[in-house]
Amino acid sequence: MNTSRVFIAGLGLISPLGRGQAATLAALRDNSCAIRPLELFPLLKGETLPVGQTELAEDAAATTPRTHRLALLAAREAMAGQHAPPDAIVLGTTTGGILTSEHLLRSGDMRPEAYRRHGLTTVAEFLAQELSCHGPCLTVSTACSSGALAIAIARRMLQAGLARRVLAGGADALCRLTYFGFHSLQLVDRGGCHPLDRDRQGMAVAEGAALLLLTSERLPWPLAEVAGMGLSCDAHHAAAPHPEGDGACRAMQAALADAGLPPAAIDYINLHGTGTPENDLAEAKAIRRLFAVPPPLSSVKGASGHSLAAAGAIEAGVAALAIGHGLLPANTGLRSSDPALGLAPLDTPRDAPVTAVLSNSFGFGGNNAALVLTAPGLAALPPATAKAQAQEFFAVHGTACLSGAGDTATTLERLAHGESVAGQAEATVLEKNLPPRLIRRLQRLPRLALALASAVSGIPRAIFFGSGWGGQTETWNFLTRLNESEEQFPSPTDFVGSVHNAPAGQVAMHLGATGANVTCSGGDASFAQALFCAALLVDDTADPVLVLGADEGHPRFTPLLEPSLRAAGPLSDGGGALLLSRRREGARCLVSRPRFLPHDTELTDVTELTALTAGCAVILAGLPAADRERDEARLGRLLAALSRPLPLIRYRAYTGEFASASALAAVLAVSWLRAGHIPGPLLDGPDLPLTGSTARILLLDLGKMPNATLFVLP
Amino acid sequence: MLGIYHILSQSQKELFSLTHATANTMDPLVEELKVKLIHLLNLADVTPASFDENAQLVGGELGIDSIDVLEMVVMIEKDYGVVINNQDLGEKVFTSLTSLAGYIRAHSSTAGS
Repeated sequence: MNTSRVFIAGLGLISPLGRGQAATLAALRDNSCAIRPLELFPLLKGETLPVGQTELAEDAAATTPRTHRLALLAAREAMAGQHAPPDAIVLGTTTGGILTSEHLLRSGDMRPEAYRRHGLTTVAEFLAQELSCHGPCLTVSTACSSGALAIAIARRMLQAGLARRVLAGGADALCRLTYFGFHSLQLVDRGGCHPLDRDRQGMAVAEGAALLLLTSERLPWPLAEVAGMGLSCDAHHAAAPHPEGDGACRAMQAALADAGLPPAAIDYINLHGTGTPENDLAEAKAIRRLFAVPPPLSSVKGASGHSLAAAGAIEAGVAALAIGHGLLPANTGLRSSDPALGLAPLDTPRDAPVTAVLSNSFGFGGNNAALVLTAPGLAALPPATAKAQAQEFFAVHGTACLSGAGDTATTLERLAHGESVAGQAEATVLEKNLPPRLIRRLQRLPRLALALASAVSGIPRAIFFGSGWGGQTETWNFLTRLNESEEQFPSPTDFVGSVHNAPAGQVAMHLGATGANVTCSGGDASFAQALFCAALLVDDTADPVLVLGADEGHPRFTPLLEPSLRAAGPLSDGGGALLLSRRREGARCLVSRPRFLPHDTELTDVTELTALTAGCAVILAGLPAADRERDEARLGRLLAALSRPLPLIRYRAYTGEFASASALAAVLAVSWLRAGHIPGPLLDGPDLPLTGSTARILLLDLGKMPNATLFVLP
Repeated sequence: MLGIYHILSQSQKELFSLTHATANTMDPLVEELKVKLIHLLNLADVTPASFDENAQLVGGELGIDSIDVLEMVVMIEKDYGVVINNQDLGEKVFTSLTSLAGYIRAHSSTAGS
């Protein structure tokens, strides 16, 4: 375990406050409010509400969506003066290319190629391409905590020595989904945004991006240090915070512990402070529980609005600027502080030395993330407590899968006969063990997730979820009803369900999982990214964690979005779940942290892969149909480099094409290791024994973000 | 299982053991709302006959919460042209089906009265 410090080597941000560090700092010093009536897109019968819009001009002809362009502007500033690309990118986003997709759907444009940058992962892929980064590109989507979560994960990657320079942050553009979605929840204040005010009535939806170049390398003049992070889940409600701020309090405590600092060491708190009555009250309660005398504090959302996935990263940037320039930003928009909160927010900006900042970000699904930023070298280096993060292997204690054939037993039975399990399971299969009241508001993806979670015996503490496309039904229904009602009657239920982390939030509530709750949306690598994050974030002492991947097939939306489905039907969905811990006793098998291979290359160097196949009995290969030709060539190079021929199963031929098919494949690997053989019909031969030294399977996923995971008997 | 699962299965049991007071007179608006809410909120295990118009609507046996309230707000505006956008007002209006019907009747130009 490398307990190295994590420094901020570069910072780029664009928000309603301005573009770039200097403009942001000037706006904070001025205590100016950037919230204005929406101009970005025309409204039909929808109400014009105040929002936080950036200065980026909207170009209707641009094929690159707005979120991508905001992210690139921030990335360029963060990378200014750097001579090499980052080793990895971790990006938080909730909107991806949805603003563009909204235009397309409304105009009836059903050309699939027009939707190629809809997916959340395409923002990080775009950055990687523009910056020539061939390392891991992780996309996290946990609503309004996404940007802070991305920075938290980057911190762990650097500490574990898996990278030396990581570009991390968040980006979200204004779009109809969030604009009307938050309005439908009656969370938008028609009179601007006044966090912590006695008469506060809600938030202002905003947009923006911030990226931080984080490094474990010593720098002559780092801006600040990301000294600690803490994650938790309320496991309480899909959209409302825990009324006592329980989860928020635990995230802050964890961040302070990670930084090795007592609460008294914090000299400024950057609040989540959205301006909704419930959020501000819960956050205030949490702060009063943790701090005997709270330090100076403020929310900047009264100035900028709430830029959702970008907010946590923008505010980490604000924290770094506060430290670097000795500025305590004001709680802009405050008229009369709410006495019920028991806090004294900064009513004007103040010049003062700042050495340690706590920055809070909380999101739908009860997702909480807190960061501690400090002046370089302030906190003592923490002891090497998190040894487990260097451990490459998790122990698998439970599994479940769902396929077109049905549940785990049915799926395994079909495959044992070499039959396909592609397609979609009947709704009744998903609902079989779920109480009707639990799922009455839930569409197919959260039902898949809950069915998987319920089928794994054991109560996890933390949830790691991968989904390539998130809740397509909810997004489709929300936008359809929005258009059909000429923007008058958007559905709050569909909006809450449309966030990518909604299924993981439902699982956490159902199982009472109050630890980290991470949703990754990395296209075909979504499940691998979720497993990777679990390996980074789970330490020795943790209880079991649930890592699951699922995608739904939507008859109208999926064919527009999923290129592999267009290349090879039928419409398929399902997923898989693994219950993991560091405890090896009684384990079914061990699973490695996924290894990400260089992406966007021809994979000419197969040395690393060849080494991974050592001792393997078989390769389970995922070749998404959209890129099959290129991937067959890559696979051919690998096989040619091997000293002995290795049996190969192209598992998508059996599972069908869906983004998280690899989660299903992972469950198959565990099941076959446990059974001691791989069914012969899948290999056109006799059963392949998996015993002794050959009890080892390599799950190799190619596609846009190639990665490899080992499954071995202990 | 913990939390919601437990509470829900508990409330289901109670729901089925409830003896429902039969309405003396059928209010057509109440009956219409029952059908609409069962569909809107996907109350799969509730029938118009078992839907007690005087029972606590929100936070009661049916597991109806704040998101459902907002969904009902949208429906009531769409179908009856009645706007409910104040939280305190909302709490009173959604006390029961009877109170909801009464509020709609008092404020709508289209609801049957």
